[in-house]
Amino acid sequence: MIMENIYKPELMEIIQIQQHTSDVKSMRVKFADPERAKNFSFKVGQFGIFSAFGHGESTFNICSSSDWKDFIEFCFRRTGRVTEAFWQLEEGDTIGFRGPYGNAYPMKEWEGKDLMFIGGGIAMPPIRCAIWYALEHREKYGDITIIYGARTVGDLVFRDELAEWAKRPKTRVIQTVDPGGETPDWKGEIGFVPTVVEKAGLTPKNAAALVIGPPIMIKFTLPILAKMGLTDKDIYTSLENRMKCGVGKCGRCNAGPVYICKEGPVFTLEQVKTLPNDY
Amino acid sequence: MIQDELRQLCRRLLEDGTVQVVIGYGQSSDDGPTYPVFVTDAADVDRLVWNDQCFANLTTYLKRKEVKALGKPAIIVKGCDERALAVLEKESQIDRTQMVVIGVACEGVGQPREPKCAACDVHMPRFSDHVLGQAANTPVEADRRYADLEAFMKRSPAERMAYWMNELSRCFKCYACRATCPMCYCERCIVDKNRPQAIDTSPTLKGNFAWHIARAFHLAGRCVGCDECTRVCPAGIDLRLLNMSLAKAAEDEFGYRAGVDREAEPIIGSYSLKDKESFIR
Amino acid sequence: MSEIISKEDLLRLVDQWIGQGKRTAGPTRIKSDVVLYAPIRSSSDVQLDGFIRPRNSIKEFIFPRHEKLYGYKVEGRKIQLFDAEPAVGEQLIIAARPCDAAAFPILDHVFNWDYKDEFYNRRRQATTIVTLACKEYDRNCFCTSVGLGPAAESGSDAMLLDLGDGSYEVRCLTEKGKALFAGKTGTSDKTGTVPPGPKKIFTKESIDAFFAGGYDNPEWQQMTLRCLGCGACAYTCPTCHCFDIVDEGNAAGGARVKNWDACQFCMFTAHASGHNPRTNQGQRQRQRIYHKFEIYPTKFGEILCTGCGNCTRNCPVELGVRPVLETIETLSVAGGTKA
Repeated sequence: MIMENIYKPELMEIIQIQQHTSDVKSMRVKFADPERAKNFSFKVGQFGIFSAFGHGESTFNICSSSDWKDFIEFCFRRTGRVTEAFWQLEEGDTIGFRGPYGNAYPMKEWEGKDLMFIGGGIAMPPIRCAIWYALEHREKYGDITIIYGARTVGDLVFRDELAEWAKRPKTRVIQTVDPGGETPDWKGEIGFVPTVVEKAGLTPKNAAALVIGPPIMIKFTLPILAKMGLTDKDIYTSLENRMKCGVGKCGRCNAGPVYICKEGPVFTLEQVKTLPNDY
Repeated sequence: MIQDELRQLCRRLLEDGTVQVVIGYGQSSDDGPTYPVFVTDAADVDRLVWNDQCFANLTTYLKRKEVKALGKPAIIVKGCDERALAVLEKESQIDRTQMVVIGVACEGVGQPREPKCAACDVHMPRFSDHVLGQAANTPVEADRRYADLEAFMKRSPAERMAYWMNELSRCFKCYACRATCPMCYCERCIVDKNRPQAIDTSPTLKGNFAWHIARAFHLAGRCVGCDECTRVCPAGIDLRLLNMSLAKAAEDEFGYRAGVDREAEPIIGSYSLKDKESFIR
Repeated sequence: MSEIISKEDLLRLVDQWIGQGKRTAGPTRIKSDVVLYAPIRSSSDVQLDGFIRPRNSIKEFIFPRHEKLYGYKVEGRKIQLFDAEPAVGEQLIIAARPCDAAAFPILDHVFNWDYKDEFYNRRRQATTIVTLACKEYDRNCFCTSVGLGPAAESGSDAMLLDLGDGSYEVRCLTEKGKALFAGKTGTSDKTGTVPPGPKKIFTKESIDAFFAGGYDNPEWQQMTLRCLGCGACAYTCPTCHCFDIVDEGNAAGGARVKNWDACQFCMFTAHASGHNPRTNQGQRQRQRIYHKFEIYPTKFGEILCTGCGNCTRNCPVELGVRPVLETIETLSVAGGTKA
């Protein structure tokens, strides 16, 4: 009998690649084993550990909706050895997948609430899965506000979907770029995300917010959300840390007492405030 | 007594602000081991000791950013450690004007004495700013210097290979050898690079051979023979033999011994028209 | 009445085990001053006395330094994966120290924390550990401070106590221990005596108080200035279990492997982006102590340390857990005066 091996990935085939910026791509992958494809499920917010065989593994949030069958998607920036290997792959190539790991966004608890999705740069993908889930269960959620910014127009990802989301009922999408990052035909906002959040003049009732982005963006966005009446229990984020095993054994990803891979990566601001500066 | 002189000197250097930290040896009990200490307060100089248990080559701390942050150091060196300073200086890693070097005359360390002490010709420090104690630097014949290596080289190649396979099979890649060596100051060691992964990180025979041979070659003409790598290896691997073979090659081919002549140009970093070319075939 | 075995019969038992083709390991004298646990080919290789404890631990026989997780082969666009069935035959570890054996009930928790690491579990099940109770200890031992002692039975399948007359009392503690010694022992009314063990050098309360005082306490830098950032402590520790996963091979194929890793290395937590949450050695040392004395007890109810002292013995600069905890104890008791 073959030994159960928690470190062995499952094979997946790349069925679509989308290039978003000069160094960001997303991939749509499906299980090589159709039986596995049928019985696989995950919850939005969870992550996977993806293999580029011969180079190593990397951790990415599963950025597609959990309702979409037959494939999952992940998005990455070309940064190091493994992401460079992914960058060179083509549709039809094989990669590995281990997961789903970690905890999930509380989509059930968020029902009935106004939702605010605030993201910066490469942090859009881990928010995208929650946005699609909410939009495809539109009647369960209140007003949806999506505020997304990047340094320049060329750094925005999933732009086609941002335009699509703006057309959905009671869904407001505000895009922004940093001052100096605009192009002559840019129609969105110009300003840092926290400024744009404030300017948006939102008056959410019974809201939850998912905020993911560079630490400085989060730091300045939080007071504005507090002014709107959100408490630390209403604000969520997804943390990241260097990972290897993803299953709570290799001892690498802990921030203080918390293993990001097992007890995260989704945390409320209340939980994050208890964590030391270790991520 | 050297220890008292040392403490007085360090008290003075700290009190008058000449240095902000003394990098020296401490000892928590008379019969216990010594260990590196960093004294920043003149009132604490009695923490400093000097005896024949002062093994560590403290010059390895000059590269550590946590130590650099303490300010201008005074550093205590034995003759072998002082050779490391000469190499670091020539490799532009230290600025001698930004430190005070306290050399201590040394009759040898360890009971029984470490193997390196039997062939030492630098008992008395030669380039320090202060020197404590007295000792004689009697020249040592090269064949005494490399006696252990020459004895080893009498074995057949097959025997020598079997020896290294046995030694290196015990290595588990703790990198204590690298951490303790003053010459291993690369901000990112070759084994920690992965594009490409030139050296397997695994503690397999392949990974261990690659690591130790690479490190020995990176020390060619630079290793001063302080033998700290050998002393600290938890697996008791005979690293000094490896390093010695390249040190002997440097002396045989180029008449060069790392850190002996403070003015000599490093052999890897310079050339001379007089260099032998007999090994180019 | 106790069970006893003569030294000759004990060594004969070991040779019988080896003769069955089963793997055996025990303390061996590699060089005059180097004793290591290593595989043995005959009972004459085993060192039963003349040293405090080997420089390494026995974890490598259950949690190897290097382990193949699976193989992969690349043929054009096709990838094939090959299961790695680890070589797990029955194995015996003879004359381990109690502080080595006690590590495994502690490690069982993390290797089965929801996801079961069968590489670990299978080797654990296949291993019989016979410990030799300690007759002496040195300044580096602190087993008593972590709830253990010279004859602590946790993790042992059988424990031997030297009776000083060429024989050992045998305490069979598990079914595996009983099976090993079945029919091989005699009876006696002598029992082994065990020294009380080293005096306690710290309390958990002091450590808790120190951490409660602030995660970013500048004392961490002060206490650990001499740490050079190698992995000697972690790798010789019976309970340290951090590991790395890497691919090794070439374009045609290779294997994904698991190797020991250590939180003391500067690259351990480095992100590909260049961000590193732990940029100085004080933070990395804090992680080691915190993991062993705060995180692990909170999650699994046990301290991730058996007080064996290997970390300090193997540290190039006499650091390791004991000196740091002694300093914390002093700081806690004195209310934060400098070390």
